[in-house]
Formats: sequence, structure tokens, C-alpha cells
Amino acid sequence: MAEALAPFLLGAAFAYVLDPAVSRWEARGLRRSHLIAAGYLAALALGAAAYGSLKPMLARQTERLQAQAPAYLQHIERLAAAQGQALTRRLPLPRQTAERALDSVVASALERLQELPARLLGLLPLLAGALLVPFIGFFFLLDGPRGVEALIQLTPARRVEQALHLLSEVDAALGNYLRGILIVAGAIAAASFVGLFLMGLDDALFVAVIAGLSSFVPYLGAVLGALIGGALAVYQFGTLRAGLEVVLLFAGIRLADEALLQPVIARHSVRLHPLAFLLALVVGGELFGFLGLVFAVPAACILKALLTVGWSWYSTATGLAPASATSAAVPYT
Amino acid sequence: MPFSILKRWFVDPQFARKKRFLRSLDIFHGIRERDIGRLVLALHSRTYHAGEVVFVEGDIGRALFILESGRVDLTRRGPDGAPALIYTLQPGEFFGEMALLESLPRSATATAAENSHLHLLYKNKLDTLLQAEPRIGAAIMGHLARLLSARLRRQNG
Repeated sequence: MAEALAPFLLGAAFAYVLDPAVSRWEARGLRRSHLIAAGYLAALALGAAAYGSLKPMLARQTERLQAQAPAYLQHIERLAAAQGQALTRRLPLPRQTAERALDSVVASALERLQELPARLLGLLPLLAGALLVPFIGFFFLLDGPRGVEALIQLTPARRVEQALHLLSEVDAALGNYLRGILIVAGAIAAASFVGLFLMGLDDALFVAVIAGLSSFVPYLGAVLGALIGGALAVYQFGTLRAGLEVVLLFAGIRLADEALLQPVIARHSVRLHPLAFLLALVVGGELFGFLGLVFAVPAACILKALLTVGWSWYSTATGLAPASATSAAVPYT
Repeated sequence: MPFSILKRWFVDPQFARKKRFLRSLDIFHGIRERDIGRLVLALHSRTYHAGEVVFVEGDIGRALFILESGRVDLTRRGPDGAPALIYTLQPGEFFGEMALLESLPRSATATAAENSHLHLLYKNKLDTLLQAEPRIGAAIMGHLARLLSARLRRQNG
């Protein structure tokens, strides 16, 4: 059920994120439908041009990845065994105990590593669904404002102001979060591609795409990028140092995101307590899996907007919130 | 010639009509052409059927209402509790404007006297617009301040 609904939810989010761009032109008096059609055609042309220029690189990287995936794993196993032996000699433990402890750690890590391709492949249906997203988003984009007006028309007359209050709070919280996360995903993908390309990693584009796409789940992009990019770097360059450099690159990207992007993005967005943020992610992930992780924070934003509106109306109606200006007693002159 | 055809094909006549209507209102006087377009997008519209109550005296107000067509009666409860008609709004007039300044209980009840089409400017929407386009805010707030001052002077004799 969640997977069937996903393209629709993502389509609505896609339209919602693009709506301000359409509105900017619509404010000049141009027809919404024509603007959207023109925008889609322009995006299609740009996408085709970008695909055309990136196609050779994409094809090279995909072929290499397919051909070398088993070799990657074998190499990492060999490297882990070699590093393990060196480490056992240095550990201040009886040799057999150290070997057993390291074996169990390495075996568990390798087991998880072997699951990684299957887990990544598990995301493929989502990517296929992603092709539907712009298609569904087109209709949301086209009829979005009319849908809101229809909702207002259906609202009981006396409740229209409350409905608008709720809409504006949800709009403020959700809009900033969604636009913010899109900027973060784009920035992480671009920064990781540039960084990995400069480091000479062959699969820079593949890792950057994975890091960018997974950034829709808070913090996941940098973690996956560091893990996959690090493993590929270890294989390609044959040293742990290369892997460490990739991990440091992603740590740097994450820090730059916190220091440079987040203050700009979070300035107007809903402020969720870190615990509420974490709780939303855990509950979302537990209930709906990967999609739950993607939609956990937006859902928490909506919930917070509902509570804010409820409290605002209650406190004004009961006189808890002061509403009058303080200098009202000064005579009119 | 091809440009005029293209323009006619791309320009939204409904949007142009709304813009013309808003430009004719005092409250939006002095706002630039392009900013009027942004204002059109910030407004919500609703048709109220005859007898439908827009808001009731004592409700907390958070929106300004602009009457495009129809008529709206404003009534206030007298000392005996019976509602007395204080004003009937005509197309082009607006009401509930104090809600844009502070969230206080409405001082009158508004009821559609006939099928009426209203535009609503919600307070938060205006605040967002103020941040993005302070010129729009300055024009609206300036008009509200003059309106308030005129009412106060009339009340003080």
C-alpha cells in the first residue's frame, strides 16, 4: 500500500517544490497550463542534452561496476584478512583470542557488505516509480491551486479562516523543509562528485548519485557516500588510506552542509526538537520502511503545524495570548 | 503580429480580470503592476450563498475580505441582544481589515445578503508577502493606517 501511494506522495511533493517557480511567472499574467507545459519541454530538452553528454561516462561506469562487483568484494576480503593479520600481531592479547575477535568482526562486516548490493537493488522499484513522479507531479502542478480553492469552497463558511490558518502553517513548515532538503541533496551530489572526481575515483558519478538520492533521508547521504565511496576507493587504490580520504571528504561535506547550508535553509523552516526529529525518523522507518524515513520529517512538520494552529486559536480565544498594543492608553492626538 | 498572437495565447484572461479588479481598489492603490500579480496569487476566493454567514461577532479574525460581486450585510448585536444592520457592503468594498493588524474578536457579524463572491487575504499570507515584497506591505499598511486615523477622527468628532 505504502509503495503504491509513494509515487503520488512524491508527485505531490515534486509539484509543491516547483510551484513557487511557476507562480513567479504566473504573477506576470501568463497561463499556468502553458507555463508548465513549456517548463516540462525545456526540462526534457535539458535532460536529453545532459544524458547525451553523460551517456558515455554512465555506460562506462555501469559496465565496470557490473563486471568488477565480485572482484571488489574479493579484494576487500583479502585486504581485510591482510590488515587483520597485521593487527593481530600488534594487539596486546593472546594471539588466538585476538584472531577470534578480529575474525568475528571482519566476518560480520563482510556479511553486511555482501548484503549491500541486494539492498541497493531493492531500491530499484522505487527508482522505476520515480519515473512516474514527474508525470503525476504534472497534474498536481496543473490543478494544485484549483484544488485548494475547491477545498476552501467545501469548508463550512465560518471555518474558512481556521482552514486558511492551518493551510498557511503547513505550507510554511512543509515548503521550507522540502525545498531545503532538495537543495541539500543537490549540493551533496555536486560536492561529492567534484571531490571524488578530483581524487581520481573511477566511479565518482555513481557514488555522487547514490549520496544525492539518499540525502532525502536526513544524514543518510553522507553515510552511504562514505561507505560505498570508501570501499570503492580501497579497491581502486589498494590502500586503506584512500578509503579514509573518502570518508574524510564526506565528513567535510556534512560539516559544510551544517555550517553553510543549514543556517540558510532552517532560517524560515519549522524548528523540530532533535529528539522529535529522531523519534519521527525511528517511527517512520519502523512503520513504513525506507519511504517512512523519507516522509517522517514532513509528517512531523504537519503534526507540529496542527498543534501550533490549535494552540494559537485556543490561546487567542481564551485570552491567554495578549493581543492589544501596549500604548493604547495614550490619548489620540 | 506573431507577437500579439503569442501574447494572447500565453496571457491568462481570468488573471488579467482579477488584476484589473484589485487595481481598482483603494487599499491596493500605489502597488506596482507586477506586485499586483503576486497579490492575486496570495488571495483565496470563495462564493458565499445568500444567507451564509462569513463570520460571527466575537469570532477571532485573521483575514481581510474583499467583495467582488453580490452584497454582504454587517450586523451588530444591540443591548437587547437583537442584531441590528450597521452597513451593507457593495462590490469593490472590503471588510475585516483589522484582522490584518491584530487577532481580535470580530466586532460585527458578516452575512451574504445574496450570492456573493469574496476574495480573502489571510494575515500570514500577507506577512509572507511583506517579507518578500516590502513595497506591497508598505502600501497596504499605509492605507490601513489612514483608514484607522480617519475613523478615529470621526469618532472623536
